Formats: sequence, structure tokens, C-alpha cells
Amino acid sequence: METTAPEKSSSPSPRNQNFVSSAPDSADTHIENEDVKHPDVEDEIKEAPVEHEESSSAAAGSDAGEKASDLDSVSDEIDQFLSLLSSMEDKSTPPDIPDYVEVFCKLVEMQIFTYDSGDSSARFGCNPDDDSRFLESVNRISKLTNVITKFCSANSYYAVSLNQTSSVMQCAMNFLENEFHALLEDSNSKRLKKEDSNVRALKTKQPSFSSNSYSNSTSNRESSNGLPESESDHPEEDSSPHSPEVVARLNKIATAMISGGFEAECCHVYSMIRHHAVREAMSKMGFEKMSLDDVHKMNWDHLEQEINRWCSIVKETSKLVFTTERNLIEAVFSGYPSIYQTLFKDLARSVIFKFLNFAEGVSMTKQALEKLFKVLDMFEVLRDLNLKINKASYSDDEWENELKSEICTPASRLGELAYCIFCDLEGSIKSDTGKTPVPFGGHHPMIRWIINYLRVLSDYKDSMEELFEQHQKSKERHDETAESDDHENDSKPPHAINNNNKNHRNNQNQKNKKMSGFRAQWMVIMHCVDQVAETKSKLYKDPSLRYIFLMNNGRYMLQKIKESSEMQELVGDAWMKKWSSDLRTFHKNYQRETWGRLLQCLNQEGLQVNGKVYKPALKERFKNFNAMFDEIHKTQGQWVVTDSQLQSELRVSISAVIIPAYRSFLARFSQYLDPGRQTEKYIKLQPEDIENAVEELFEGSGHLSMARKRT
Amino acid sequence: MPATDYNLGRSILGIRRDQVHTMEGSQGVSSLELELETFQRQVTDRFHDLGSVGPEELLSLSWIRKLLDCFLCCQDEFRAILFNHKNLITKSPVDRLIAEFFERSVKALDVCNAVRDGIEQIRQWQKILDIVLCALDTHRSLGEGQFRRAKKALIDLAIAMLDEKDSNTTVAQRNRSFGRNNVGRDHRSLGHFRSLSWSVSRSWSAARQLQAIGNNLTAPRGSEVVATSGLAVPIYTMGSILLFVMWALVAAIPCQDRGLQTHFSIPRQFSWSQPILSLHERIGEESRKRERKNACGLLKEIHQIEKCARHMNELADSVQFPLTEDKEGEVRQRVEELALVCEALKGGLDPLERQVREVFHRIVRSRTEGLDSLGRANHHE
Repeated sequence: METTAPEKSSSPSPRNQNFVSSAPDSADTHIENEDVKHPDVEDEIKEAPVEHEESSSAAAGSDAGEKASDLDSVSDEIDQFLSLLSSMEDKSTPPDIPDYVEVFCKLVEMQIFTYDSGDSSARFGCNPDDDSRFLESVNRISKLTNVITKFCSANSYYAVSLNQTSSVMQCAMNFLENEFHALLEDSNSKRLKKEDSNVRALKTKQPSFSSNSYSNSTSNRESSNGLPESESDHPEEDSSPHSPEVVARLNKIATAMISGGFEAECCHVYSMIRHHAVREAMSKMGFEKMSLDDVHKMNWDHLEQEINRWCSIVKETSKLVFTTERNLIEAVFSGYPSIYQTLFKDLARSVIFKFLNFAEGVSMTKQALEKLFKVLDMFEVLRDLNLKINKASYSDDEWENELKSEICTPASRLGELAYCIFCDLEGSIKSDTGKTPVPFGGHHPMIRWIINYLRVLSDYKDSMEELFEQHQKSKERHDETAESDDHENDSKPPHAINNNNKNHRNNQNQKNKKMSGFRAQWMVIMHCVDQVAETKSKLYKDPSLRYIFLMNNGRYMLQKIKESSEMQELVGDAWMKKWSSDLRTFHKNYQRETWGRLLQCLNQEGLQVNGKVYKPALKERFKNFNAMFDEIHKTQGQWVVTDSQLQSELRVSISAVIIPAYRSFLARFSQYLDPGRQTEKYIKLQPEDIENAVEELFEGSGHLSMARKRT
Repeated sequence: MPATDYNLGRSILGIRRDQVHTMEGSQGVSSLELELETFQRQVTDRFHDLGSVGPEELLSLSWIRKLLDCFLCCQDEFRAILFNHKNLITKSPVDRLIAEFFERSVKALDVCNAVRDGIEQIRQWQKILDIVLCALDTHRSLGEGQFRRAKKALIDLAIAMLDEKDSNTTVAQRNRSFGRNNVGRDHRSLGHFRSLSWSVSRSWSAARQLQAIGNNLTAPRGSEVVATSGLAVPIYTMGSILLFVMWALVAAIPCQDRGLQTHFSIPRQFSWSQPILSLHERIGEESRKRERKNACGLLKEIHQIEKCARHMNELADSVQFPLTEDKEGEVRQRVEELALVCEALKGGLDPLERQVREVFHRIVRSRTEGLDSLGRANHHE
């Protein structure tokens, strides 16, 4: 091998010399003249040394095949020359530069020209064989350039040759860079189309939880979050917009550029385009650049929408970055871990930083009850982002720590805000001084609001518990530093006090372990609700209605709590039991208040004088009974018991008390009334009538049903 | 010179001294007074120190970092004063002044974000410069191809820097034609990926933000000083420092709609007025220099980038191959210059960015603390 190369180079043909002198200086003009020069090169190849003639003629059938074999044979020569040069210890007396170096340069230029010719079937990527041959050539030419530079100072021919090889190399790298750029960009537009449809699904408006109107809001976690769990919606595999072929091509180009020393350009183009792509995707999702000033001035309705949008964008984008983009980077730069790690970290860092500003802004807004869930949503989104960073770690502590501390700052501020809002709830409940009773004993809007609020909050139980813990810790830390500060100023030895304090605190901690800080506060709120029900019930003058109100609202709370296992867990069995027994007491009291009095009419005492039934008293009893029952039927028909189970429980218990008593009263005393007119006048109700009437109680529409009956 | 300033500074507090003494018990007040005087003196010292640099160092990366250090120190001392006198800050009219100050400081946060984007921008330029350095590695012989590579990177740099100067939509148009004329059909401009300046909306303006920070920032009258037990003075001082530091950042670092017209009128009796006003004057002069008039930032290193790029372009246009020894020497020299700038950027941008973040966080923290104590007081009332 090494012996043949110098032999050939020692006999340059005159035609070759000609070719060199006529070669234009710049690569650009080379390209433009290529079609003119082409035949020359062909000639050149055909007159190449004898041993290649065979392969040339063998491939003469097709133009492409011919070119390929030309390139193959020249490439072999170049490889031999390369190995000769690199084996030379003495750099001062290099061999002459063989002609095929120039031929090789021409062939590479020609290939670039063909790729660029505009003929779509000849583009890069259409013919894998040509492409890999081309990439090999690029590799060869960069090696060639590198080797030649080492001999430039010794031999001026080498300097001339360096101009040529380096220009062709620059030209080739430029071409690859453009190709790389175009491939990455095309993929962008494809992905954007796809994302378009995803985004539309995200933009559903969520019901809002507003505190100022204790409205009928029954928002639950799904709707307040506004997002279907998108992780499961789009399996991660098919989110990549790049076909495996494109990725493979990108990888080949990147490898060629990096091994040719063009790492900087390659990474620059890559990160420019991918950063841009991610941002474009974000703005398609509706991400808006917002200054803190903007956030500061925004009203809550608007801000709430922005928060919903922000949460979904952060989730989607972090999935995009941590899965799709990361896979792409690792595939394109496989074999270069340090490069792909740097690229990925830069991308993640820059994208994440864009998110944080809005979170900072929201964390600085004033606290208000209606903000709690949105603030918690944001807190959780940031927490999940932190987890993603944990998982993505390339064991680079600096990057990880920087990102985490950047995320932590707004996250902990949001957490503190949520904490304060929730602790504020107690005060807002207590400050309510409404004096209007809810008509007909129905659900009190404030109770309903609080319970629904708590119902939503129970879904954030874990986060809230974490926040209470954090708050407690930072408070303890604060206390401790304050304590030690005190001691520094104290002249007495502080140990005794210190230990006492610590012991005391430990004891307390132990006690608190049974009930988390969050749960403790939660129970405070439950107690408040109880108080609200109690206070509001006192607004009713009619004790029966008061009990109906208490039952209605108590049952409502109980039902809501039973619907959610989180709530049940938070409230605890003891409380539930106590509440159920309270409800039973209310029921009993109601029975006594309303039906106990009615039963008095059916009391047998006082009806008999000297062992005989005293008719006027009997008549009076019937009259009273009828009137009273009518009155109850009228008023309590208007009362509302929305819970159907409670309604039927009440009716059953009423019927069970009143009907047998009435039946037996009738059986015993109806005979004393004269049949006909008198019976008709005093016995207006049959037991069945009473049963029917009881069925009409608590419908909230007493008036209507009565009216209907009369017509 | 500084000594007389301190006396002037003392004299404003001095006016107050007698009056306050008659109003409140003397013990607490005199310690407050001492704190306030110390604060004024420290602020003055710090800004004198900042002003003591030569024209070469002014507005350099290291100087900007010093400026931010100075801000952080002043902010800390200011915070300590507020913290030590919680009882005073909840009283009218101090509470109003404090609330105004916090409003002002929130506006500075957006400047911090914009500046951070600007730093990112410079970092991109530095990456392009790295390509030039990589192309013209002087340890090897250089051929035409290497110069073309450098030239291409320089065009990318020119586009990236031009892009920043006027962030209008017309720029994209200009880029395209710029690219076409200079680099031939193959060159795809990366300039239209305005990768950064992304934290704020398109309509955001640094100039307007500075104006908002400086809104209603006036020196307290004597009666106000008395009514606030002197606290009006540090609040005004900190407000002025905030405005000046933000203004200087905007002057130095590329950001959206820079405008340096901010006017500072600080009464002479404040001892720190002289060093701040003189810095304001010097930076203003710098911005009016012909070669810097259209600069995207007055940062010294940006100027150096521009200078190096220009030299390098001229050089790349003039080289003939093979390189003469003279030329080779010149190339080596230019590359060394460039390497120095890159080195300074590499070493300085990251810490600067962290510092800007720190400024951001400190402002937020002190605002939260301040509002907390104001809010708590309101609850108790």
C-alpha cells in the first residue's frame, strides 16, 4: 500500500497540471462551472492508472454507477495517501501531493452540486448509497485537510492544496449544515400541525370557584384541573414527529459534522431550531409572554384562565422536552453523550425558566379564598416538574441544583400562599354575619359552599399536608434561630432553658403526630361549619323548621363527605358517628315538636266524663286534629328536604307514629259520632288521607299541590 | 470631597434631630438616627467606589457585577432598617411610602427578567464567536476554507446583533436580503430565530418600565422627614438606587426598547447624589459617543465584540493565499483579541445572570416580608 502511493504521485501527467492551473480560486465558482468541467473530470478518471481501468469500464453502463466507482477508486488512493502522511515522523520532507487529491475534491464538489441541482430525485436523502458514500467522502476530506495543514509550512504545494481541500470541506460542511437545518425544520412544521389538534382539546373553559357568590358550584378536581390526564392520552412513543429515517439521517449528518470539527456549528443550528420549535409549540398552545406587571394588574377571572392555560402548557411542554426532545437529541447525537447532555440541559433550562416568571407573578398576588385551588394546581405542576428533573438527571449536580432551586423559589412561595389562604378560611367563615334564614329550611348556601370547597380541597390532601409540614419546619427553624439569637445576648447559660423548650416541643410533636397539621386545621373548619349550622338554625322561629334545617344541612354535609374517601379519612369516624347521632337527635326533636303536639289530640284522656264519652270534647278533638293536621300539611308541604332518603325516612317515621294512633282513635271513637252529617263534619280524614298527605310533606311545593287538588 | 458630602447628609438628619427628640423618647430614636446616618454614609461610599473606575472599566461585565453587589448590600441594609423598626413602618405616612416603594420594586422585577434575556442573547453571540475561534485555530496552518468558515460565522453574528438592535418585524425581511446579498443562495440565516427576549411581551418597553419605576420619586420634604421619624430618607434613597441600578442595567445589556432618557434629580444635600449623578453623566456620555450610538448595549464587552468582528471581517476580506508571514501574525493577534473577549464573556455572563436572579429574589423577598408586617399590623388594628 505505502509503496504504491508515492509511485503514482511521482508521475503527474501534464493534463493534470493544466487542470490545476485552470481551476478557479473559489469553491463557489467551482460549483457554477462544474457542468462545464464535468467531462474533463470524466476524461481524467479514464486516464487514471491502469489498475483502475477495469473497474471504470465495468461500471460504464450507467452514469451514476460510473461516478460511484470513480469515487471508490479515488477514495482508496486517498486513504493510502492519508495513511502514508500520518505515518510520517518527519514533517519537513513530505511527498508530493498526488493528482487524485484534486480529483477527489472535484468529485466531492460535483456531488454537492448534484444534490443542490434542484432535481428532486437527486436530493440528499433520496439515494442512501450515494449519501453514505458522500458522508464518507466528507470524512475523508476533513482528514485530508487536517493532515495537510501539518505540512504546509514545509511545502508550499501543500498550502495550495490546503486551500482547495479546506474550501471543499467548508462547502461540504455548509451543505450538511443546511441539510441538517432543513430536516429539523421540516419536522417542526409537521409537529405543529399535530399539536394544533391537541391544543384544541385543552382549551375547555373550567367552571370557576368564586367565593363572593356562594354559588351553586360543585366543581370537582377534574374540572378544576381542566385537563384530562394527558399522559395516558398520548402514548409517548408516537409523539415524535420525526420518522426513524429522518432521525437516522440527522444522526449521520451530525456525526459527520462533529468528526469533521464542526461541532460548534452543528450544535448551534440544532439548539436554535429546537429551542425555536419548542417555543413555537408553546405559543401554539397559547403561551403568552407576560410581564410581572401584567400579572399583577390582572383581575381574578382572567388570571384564573391564564393559570389553567399555564398548567396545561407546562405539563404538555415538559413532556415534550423531557420525552420527545430528549429522545431526539439522544438519537441525533448518539455516540456523543457529553454533547447531547449539554444540548438537552440547555434546552430544558431555557424552557423551564420561561415558565417560572408567571409562577412568580401569581405567587405575589394577594391571597383570596377563590385562588386556593389554582394556586395548588400550580404548586403541583411545579412539584411534578421537579420530579421530572430528578428523573432526567445525568448526574450533573450543578444543573440539577440550579434548576431545582429556581423552581423551588416560586413553588414554595405558591405553597405559602396556599397555606395562608386555607388558614384564612376560618376567619372568613366566622366573619359572616348574614341574618336571613334560608326559606323553608333548605341548604344554606354558605354551608354548601364550604363543604364543596372542602370537597375540592380534599383532593389536594397530600399537597396540603406537605405544605403544612413545610410551614411547620420553616417556623421551627425560624424559632430556633430566634431562640439562639436570644441566647447569644443572654449572659446566663442557656442550656437548661433550651433543653426544656426542646423537650416541650418534642412532646407536642409527638402529640401532633396523630393528627397532621392540615387535618387539625381541617377539623377546625369542620367545627366552624357545625357552628354555622347551629347559628343559622337559630334564625328560625319555628323549632320544627329549625330541626328540618339542621337535618337538611347535616345530611348534606354527611352525604358529601361520604362521597369522597379522602374527605371521610380527613373527617374521621368519630366525627361521622357524632354527626349521625346528632342527626338522629334532630329527627327525634322534630317528631316531638310537630307530631307530638298533634298526638295530643288523639289522647284518650279527658274524653270521658264519668266513664262515658263526652261528645263535645270529642268533637273539639276532631276539629283540632283536622285543623292542626291541615296546618302542618300546608306549612310543611312548603318545606324542603332535597335528600330523597331523608325525605322518605321522615315520612315513614311520621306515618309510623301518626297513622296507627289515628286509626285506633278512630276505631275507638268514631262510633260516638252520629253517622252521616256529623261524621262527615268531624271525621274529615281517613287514615289513607293522612298517609297521602304525609307523602306530600317536604316537597317544597306545598302550595302548588294543594292548589292542584282543589281544582 | 466626600467628607463635605457626609456633612451635608448629616445636616438633613440634623434638622430632624431636635424636633424628634421633643416628640418621642430619646433612646430608641437616637439608635434609629445612627442607623439612618450609617446607611446614608455606606450608600455614598459604595457609589463613590463604583465611580472611581477608569473609562475602561466602567460598564464592563465586572463593573456591572460590582454595581449589582452594591445594590444587594444597600437592599440588605435597607431591609434591616425596616426590620428593626417594624413598629414605625406600620404608621402613617411611613406605611404609604413603604407601599409605594414596593410597587416600584415590583416594576424592577420585569427589568431583571428582560436583562436576563439580554444576557442570554450575549451568550448566543459568544457561541458564534467560538465558531470563529474554532475556524481560525492558529495552531494550524490556515487555508481559504477556514477563513470562509469564520466569515460565515461572522455574518451570523452580524445578523444576530442587528436583530437585537431593532426588534421590529421588518428585521426578518432585512435579514433575508442581508443574507442573500452576502452569503449566496445556500446560506440560511439563523437570525430570524429570535431565540430570546422572551420573558416579556412584544409591547413591553424597558424605557417605559424605567419611567414607571421613577414615577413620583421625589425627595421627601422636611415635614415628611419629621413625620416619618426620618424613615422617608432611606425609603427615598433606596428608591433612587433602584431606579439608577435598573437604568444602568438597561443601558448596558440588550433589551427590548432600551431608552436612556431617565432623568435624575436628586437634591445635593443627599451625600450619595454626587456619585450617582456623576455615574449617570458618564454613562450618558458613553451612549452619545458616535461609535456607540446605535449599540444594542453599552456593555464594554459588546463594544469589544463589535470591534473584533469588524477587524476580523476586514482581515478575512483582505487575506491572500498562501498567507504571508505578516498576515499570519495579524491573524494571530486578532484571534488572540477575540479569544480574550470570549474568555471574559464565558467567565462573566454566568455569574452576572445569577446575580440578576439574586436581585430579583431579594426584591421579592423583602417585599413579601414588608407586606407581611404591614398586613399583620392592619389585622391587629
